[in-house]
Amino acid sequence: MTTLVILSLWTALAAFAASRALPEAASTAPQAAPFLGGGTPDTHAWSRYHFRPYTMTLVFVAFEMEMMFMYPWAVVFVSEGPKALAEMGMFLAILSVGLLYGWREGVFAWE
Amino acid sequence: MSHLARLAATAPAPVFAAIGPGLAPAVERLLARPGLRRAATPREAALLLVAGAIPDRAAGALDRVHDQVPHPRRTVRWDGTGDIERALLDARADLLGGGESAPDRRPDAPPAPWRGKGDHGQGGEGMMGGTPYGRPMAMTGADIRDGLQLDRYTARVGPFAPMLPPGLVLEVTLQGDVIVAVEVQAPAFDQPAEADAPDLVAARMLRLLGLPGAADRVAAGGRPRAAGLLRAVPPGLVPVGGRDARDRLAGCLAGRSQEIEPPDLAALLPGLEWAEAMLALASLPPSSLAQEALAA
Repeated sequence: MTTLVILSLWTALAAFAASRALPEAASTAPQAAPFLGGGTPDTHAWSRYHFRPYTMTLVFVAFEMEMMFMYPWAVVFVSEGPKALAEMGMFLAILSVGLLYGWREGVFAWE
Repeated sequence: MSHLARLAATAPAPVFAAIGPGLAPAVERLLARPGLRRAATPREAALLLVAGAIPDRAAGALDRVHDQVPHPRRTVRWDGTGDIERALLDARADLLGGGESAPDRRPDAPPAPWRGKGDHGQGGEGMMGGTPYGRPMAMTGADIRDGLQLDRYTARVGPFAPMLPPGLVLEVTLQGDVIVAVEVQAPAFDQPAEADAPDLVAARMLRLLGLPGAADRVAAGGRPRAAGLLRAVPPGLVPVGGRDARDRLAGCLAGRSQEIEPPDLAALLPGLEWAEAMLALASLPPSSLAQEALAA
């Protein structure tokens, strides 16, 4: 508890001292404008764009979770026998339907 | 001069070049020298090199670029004669020694006052509507890639954009990184025939590929010394006369100069990603983007 208090006090003091010691970032209006080689923008640059790796990330997470379930399954596989094999087969079949769906949606077409 | 300043003085001087008519090849060869470094943006530079007589149409743009160089900064003008490398290094040494920084040329005020209307002073509802600082937010528009409607960002790039030939001003509309519309607002400045030299064209492409060292070596008359260079250029990029950008880079590295019909940028560039489009433009000789070429 004492360590925590000392650490947090020290962090607060250090942050305060740094903010006093460092020069203030003085960004003028011309410097805050985007660099366009002397050109000017029509709109603000805050725009919505398509993050294309997003869907691929979802597929990755799904299959990583599948691997997580396979470790406990591997532990009981010998004692459970064919029943465990059938259960894992059903699980993988359902997951691969998701894979086919992602394929149809063009998830794997990397541009 | 402090120890820190002395240490800084041993590094190459970062120079952002605003190039006027007639001096592009001279400046490109100058900034390939070991004591100088060509800054990709003004934010990275300490010195602004104004080469040649900048036409009136680009004066406002020059002021904007000047103000974007962070303090301490200095402008060095060059008419193509004299020892400019010495002048640049002297100016940098003076800045590091505490010399005076050039003041802003434009007023320190946003183009229009902030006028928010939401609870927290934002522009409007979410990202839509409102005109904060007199400038609207981007709005969605038809998409040319996959039909997903995304915000369109329109801006004029140039005349001092380092990835375009000096003087060329393009009004570009982007959706994400994809160019959906291009309009040439001003042609590139006239340059001597040396600007089309194959080594300079190759150096421009290498710089865009993120290989400034190789670019400097090529501009100084050497070999790029980088493996698999040609495969860094996407195949089939902006074919002109049956040769794509990769063929043009190969030709330039082999020292062959190229004759190219002036391209119609408004038809060639839409659909390309920004990086591809800039690489394709750099692979064309700049004379094909100058006044007579675009007027023809």
